[in-house]
Amino acid sequence: MEIYVFLKVIWAVLLGVLLTGLATMVGMDMGVGALLRFVGRNDAERRVALNIIGPHWDGNQVWFILGGGAIFAAFPTLYATSFSVFYVVMILLLFSMILRPVAFEYRSKVDASRWRASWDWAFLVSGALPMIVYGAAFGNILEGVGFHYSWTGQYFQDESFLSYLLNPFAILCGVMSLALALHQGGTMLMMRGEEPIYGRARKFAIGGALVAAALFAVGGVWVANMNGFAFTAPVNPAMPATPLTGQTVAVQPGAWLHNYATYPLMWLAPILGFVGMLGGAAMVALRKPAVAWWCGALAWAGTISTVGLSMFPFLMPSTTSPNQSLTVWNATGSEYNLGWMLFFALVFTPIIITYTSWCFYVMRGKVKVEAVVKDTHSY
Amino acid sequence: MPLIDPSVVDLSRLQFALTALYHFLFVPLTLGMTFILAAMETVYVITGKPIYKEMTQFWGKLFGINFAIGVATGLTMEFEFGTNWSMYSHFVGDVFGTPLAIEGLMAFFMESTFIGLMFFGWDRLSKPGHLAVTYLTALGSNLSALWILIANGFMQNPKGASFDPVTMRMQFTSFLHLVFSDDAQAKFVHTSIAGFVTGSLFVMGISAFYILKKRHKELAARSFRMAAIFGIISTLAVVTLGDALGRLDYLVQPTKIAAIEGLWQNSNAHSSAMAAPWLLFALPNDATQSNSAEIGIPYVLTPLVTHSENKVIPGLIQQEQQAAPRIENGIKALDALQQYGQDHDAASLATFKQYEQDMGYGFLAQRYAPDQNLALVTPQNQQEIVQKASRDIVPNVFVTFWSFRIMMFLGFYFVALFAFAAYFSLTNRLEKHPFLLKLSVWSIPLPILACEFGWITAEAGRQPWSVYGWLPTFQAASSHPVGYMVFSLIGFALLYSTFIAAELYLMFKFARLGPHEHDSHTAPAQGGAAPMFAKPGLADKSWQ
Amino acid sequence: MSTFFKFVGLALVIGFALFLAVVAGDYGPWYFAWLVGTTMIVLISAAGAVLFDTQEKSGKGDI
Repeated sequence: MEIYVFLKVIWAVLLGVLLTGLATMVGMDMGVGALLRFVGRNDAERRVALNIIGPHWDGNQVWFILGGGAIFAAFPTLYATSFSVFYVVMILLLFSMILRPVAFEYRSKVDASRWRASWDWAFLVSGALPMIVYGAAFGNILEGVGFHYSWTGQYFQDESFLSYLLNPFAILCGVMSLALALHQGGTMLMMRGEEPIYGRARKFAIGGALVAAALFAVGGVWVANMNGFAFTAPVNPAMPATPLTGQTVAVQPGAWLHNYATYPLMWLAPILGFVGMLGGAAMVALRKPAVAWWCGALAWAGTISTVGLSMFPFLMPSTTSPNQSLTVWNATGSEYNLGWMLFFALVFTPIIITYTSWCFYVMRGKVKVEAVVKDTHSY
Repeated sequence: MPLIDPSVVDLSRLQFALTALYHFLFVPLTLGMTFILAAMETVYVITGKPIYKEMTQFWGKLFGINFAIGVATGLTMEFEFGTNWSMYSHFVGDVFGTPLAIEGLMAFFMESTFIGLMFFGWDRLSKPGHLAVTYLTALGSNLSALWILIANGFMQNPKGASFDPVTMRMQFTSFLHLVFSDDAQAKFVHTSIAGFVTGSLFVMGISAFYILKKRHKELAARSFRMAAIFGIISTLAVVTLGDALGRLDYLVQPTKIAAIEGLWQNSNAHSSAMAAPWLLFALPNDATQSNSAEIGIPYVLTPLVTHSENKVIPGLIQQEQQAAPRIENGIKALDALQQYGQDHDAASLATFKQYEQDMGYGFLAQRYAPDQNLALVTPQNQQEIVQKASRDIVPNVFVTFWSFRIMMFLGFYFVALFAFAAYFSLTNRLEKHPFLLKLSVWSIPLPILACEFGWITAEAGRQPWSVYGWLPTFQAASSHPVGYMVFSLIGFALLYSTFIAAELYLMFKFARLGPHEHDSHTAPAQGGAAPMFAKPGLADKSWQ
Repeated sequence: MSTFFKFVGLALVIGFALFLAVVAGDYGPWYFAWLVGTTMIVLISAAGAVLFDTQEKSGKGDI
């Protein structure tokens, strides 16, 4: 295999890893944010819930920034096109993402119930909305997006943004993503919280996992019957990365299952997803929140690899100009760039994992109500 | 082919400029405060005196209020390249995205993870352990700035990439050239140290307020001393680097340096280049391309900018004339490129290669071609198009000229302020000079203002290019309907004004309260509150 | 044994600092200046605080 093709595939895998890491870590914080009003009935309880992720949310949020940066560098054309095509949705996502850090830092700094109640609503919106958008983006991409390029590489949008919002399949994916986040957030609250937060979070954690499993099943049947995309002529994977030439693509019903038909081993991905979701629910029921948290991470990994494997090598197919669909072969950076990026990823990922785990280790243990209320450093 | 709507480009520029300037209200303070906190904690660890711990925690609290918004608004910047500058992202993403990704990997993870420990880890880490965390946070936030400015350096002076006619974009060719580009280097140091100045004046000003009110003298006097020393060295460094950047602009961005200096005619237009005056005051008029009310110091401009006695600085009017043939070549380059995209023939490629260096100037002309289509340029309409396009290579001189001057005058003011402050602090005579203390309080926002004007100078002076010489801003924007832009602009306006109101309210609140009133935790002598996170006992496995 | 590890650790830090200084000194003079300058600014300002403590002990308590 040529080095360039190898790098392209590696970066497609890393994209999956990144999206999984993002969903797990940011999703956990989002879940806690969305659950805040429900697991905490009074101010002290809500502060405990916030302080459970207090020392970590900032680091977790970087997954999101890193996701943006890595897509920009490794898949410049995908970044340029998807962020612009989904403009309205992206801006909504952005608004809620920037609301959250501010809500964290400011909520508990003023002792007035209206001030705090407003920020609690901000947590709900900024927790739930991004997860719905995140899931809905996967839904829209699976269905294909209307865009084409002019000869200079400038994209043009061929459909209304409303079709991304009012789209039943996308909404289904969005709700599933929110459900997984609630599971993830709920298990974290159980790990570091005590009664009554523990008991309330437990209900949401079980519910989230079960709802996600049900929607995953429905979504799977839906995808099997929807229009997929497939190459109609052989493609050179080492092609120069441009969407303008080199591919002939057709829209075919059921094409998203072709990969699974060719490589039956891939069915492992959705199975892992189900194991994660159902296992997560069971572990929460057995009061093993840490195991359930990892099950949630497994569920994300299973879900995202299910989608990725079914679409591979497509990244963002175009419904109006299928030949210009973005794929792993035509949307990446240059060989030189991917090489350097891989170098940096290999050097820094282990370092990041080490100090993030160390940080979690230092801050381990239950968060107590009395301690949070007394301490003025807390959120 | 649908047209690029000029009002969408303008609105995108407006949105990017406003969100970037807003983001940069908070960044300099973060860059500087982290290292000041590290210095304070260093003294604490070395001397063991609790007052320095108290200082670190108090200033850390104010820093935290600021840091949150800095992070939040930074997200916007990372998204906006994709949401509003699609063509830009496609065109340079291969080289421009890489430093942004590395920033996330190397710097942002570091600062964001350790800042949690910095705030919450006081009771859980050893003294040197916590000090190390503080230093890592400081290093992380400045490394963040480093990679962003490496990316910005590429926009100012594209190094380390070359245009590839097959993929229609700039492709990454040299990591070393990108990272060690002169522009990136000087810009990083200038920006980071300007952050040090901002942080110093922030700490110094609030300390001066306490000294004036005769509150928290222990904390205020020490903080003032440290900030004043921190500030005086930093301001001198900022000025030095500013000079280096000016010379760099002369070497690689001639339109920018001419706009900064309000130079319409070549610097040797009247007598010799040596005698050209350096303008202290002038009212540049972009419509008539001339200045009125000039007040200048003769014999200063040439040595200041060129670091030589007789090199000529090209004026904007001459540069405009020289652009015309480049625009004509650029049109040929783009025509050949489009041909090559269809046929992949060697002949068009050869033609393109011949005019490749002027390709960006062809994009400038595209804006004025019929239907924005260069294929419709005919010998009859070519001259008019070229004339309009060559007019575009001049940035807005009034804005560039004055934002540079405001930044520079403020810089010299800071040198004077910090010099006196450091002198009187070192000789223990601060309380005898209430005017200086008051001046310090009122000067707190000025470094932020200087930083903002610095950005305006750098980025307004870069126009009409988004990548200097290669891609005009006009071509770089996404093809959105106006409605999208109105939606996002209204949203940003609402959110951002709420944030700034909340931030200022909290800043004033906690700065007025001072260290003790809100923070019993920092004074162990008075008992202190229980640490928030009780340390888990070894037997306590309930958290697993 | 712990002393030994301390020495090894410090040696590694010094080695890294030298490496950084050589690379930055060769390719990025301004980066090098930043590394040296920032360290210097932090240390001098810390020294200023220590000086303050000394002055306070011997002086009349003026600030």
